[in-house]
Amino acid sequence: MTIDFWGLGLQAVNVLILVWLLSRVFWRPVAAAIAKRQKTAQEVIGSAKATQAKADTALTEATKARAGIEEERAAMRDAAKADAETASKTILNEARAEAEAILAAAKDTISHDAIAARKANDAQASELSLKIAARLLERLNGPTVQSVFLSQLVDAIADMPAADRKALASDPKGIEIVSATDTGAEQGKIEKEIQTALGGTREIRFTTDPNLIAGLELRSPHFTLHNSWAADLTQVRKAVKDAA
Amino acid sequence: MNSPLDSIALFYLGPLPITQAVLTTWAIMAILVIGSYLLTRRMDLVPGKRQAALELIVTTMDTQIVETSGANPAPYRAFIGTLFMFILVANWSSLIPGVEPPTAGLETDAALAVLVFLSVIWFGVRGDGIGGYLKSFAAPNPIMIPLNILQSLTRVFSMFVRLFGNVMSGVFVIGIVASLAGLLVPIPLMALDLLTGLVQAYIFAVLAMVFITSTVEDGQHSKRNTAPAPSPNQKDT
Repeated sequence: MTIDFWGLGLQAVNVLILVWLLSRVFWRPVAAAIAKRQKTAQEVIGSAKATQAKADTALTEATKARAGIEEERAAMRDAAKADAETASKTILNEARAEAEAILAAAKDTISHDAIAARKANDAQASELSLKIAARLLERLNGPTVQSVFLSQLVDAIADMPAADRKALASDPKGIEIVSATDTGAEQGKIEKEIQTALGGTREIRFTTDPNLIAGLELRSPHFTLHNSWAADLTQVRKAVKDAA
Repeated sequence: MNSPLDSIALFYLGPLPITQAVLTTWAIMAILVIGSYLLTRRMDLVPGKRQAALELIVTTMDTQIVETSGANPAPYRAFIGTLFMFILVANWSSLIPGVEPPTAGLETDAALAVLVFLSVIWFGVRGDGIGGYLKSFAAPNPIMIPLNILQSLTRVFSMFVRLFGNVMSGVFVIGIVASLAGLLVPIPLMALDLLTGLVQAYIFAVLAMVFITSTVEDGQHSKRNTAPAPSPNQKDT
């Protein structure tokens, strides 16, 4: 066994050359590529962190701004709600007042209408009652009633002032005795008692007026002495009307 | 069959005998250098499959150096990595019919061992200075100087013998089996030789890194031990 030292040295040189060449064409380029990418990655990560920090800051500001906007919106919403409530209350109060006014006016109208209707009803009722009374009284128009009216007429003439009775008796146109029906055979008696009550008169004329229903009235151009159911009913109608 | 311990010169360049191992070494050098040049021509920031594979090789080598020594891998990467790649390719070149791996010869393995021995000195001196390197032989105490000197020689000799014995024996066994049994019978042995070649390349590179690292660390340890002690009045900073 022998070792060729020339060969040993040649192989050592060969390996050294290989180490030098591979360090130039393999190890350094690949390691440089790795280091370059690591550096780039670090730079990218640094830039990303800076960008993320900016984004976080912007997000914080945006969050604050959004919170401010939310508060402002809430305040505006509350203000609008308060305004709307105030406006609605005002409108509601106005509507309520208007409704109350309308209701009061309607009540007044209804009251007036009711009063008017009641008055109308009263008037109609009084008219109807008067008509009924007139119809009923027409059936009572007999000699007894006529004599009663004659005595009442005589009493009324007696109650007149003497001057008025004298002026009536001295009226040149005379007086007129009006009855609802023809007095017929009673005219003499009636004339006699009236002449007596008046103390004499120039002329007494007898006329009929069915509107009197029953009774005897004394009429002159300037004076009328009402003494009939028609006059009584007229007074009753007036009294009822006044009472209503 | 020639003796594996003999190397026959094919021709001479002056006094230099050009053997089969030298020619094969030149071919391996050409393949590695040209292949590396072609593969590393365009290195992009975003790696493709080719660049990713190359970076995986470099990263794995750096990881092995760091795990072995704990040191920055940059100063040792080219030497240790080239040793590993050259020995691996040389070992696996035995799979090519008619090619005898350079590592199956005495001169190549001896040259590699000598380079490791010299690299230990080089990195030791570069890291700790001549004094630091020489003091590394006195670790842990001066009594160990003769043993450390003997160890520095024997450990590289053991590397040389280990690599030569494993590779040469594999080639020799395959040759014997092929000559006795036929063409396809040595295939399982060749597959085993693949594994042996990978393991031996890894062991050689790792041992070289361990030797370099231990020398550098011993020199730094000796420096720390010989540094003057701080005075009692000096405050710690």
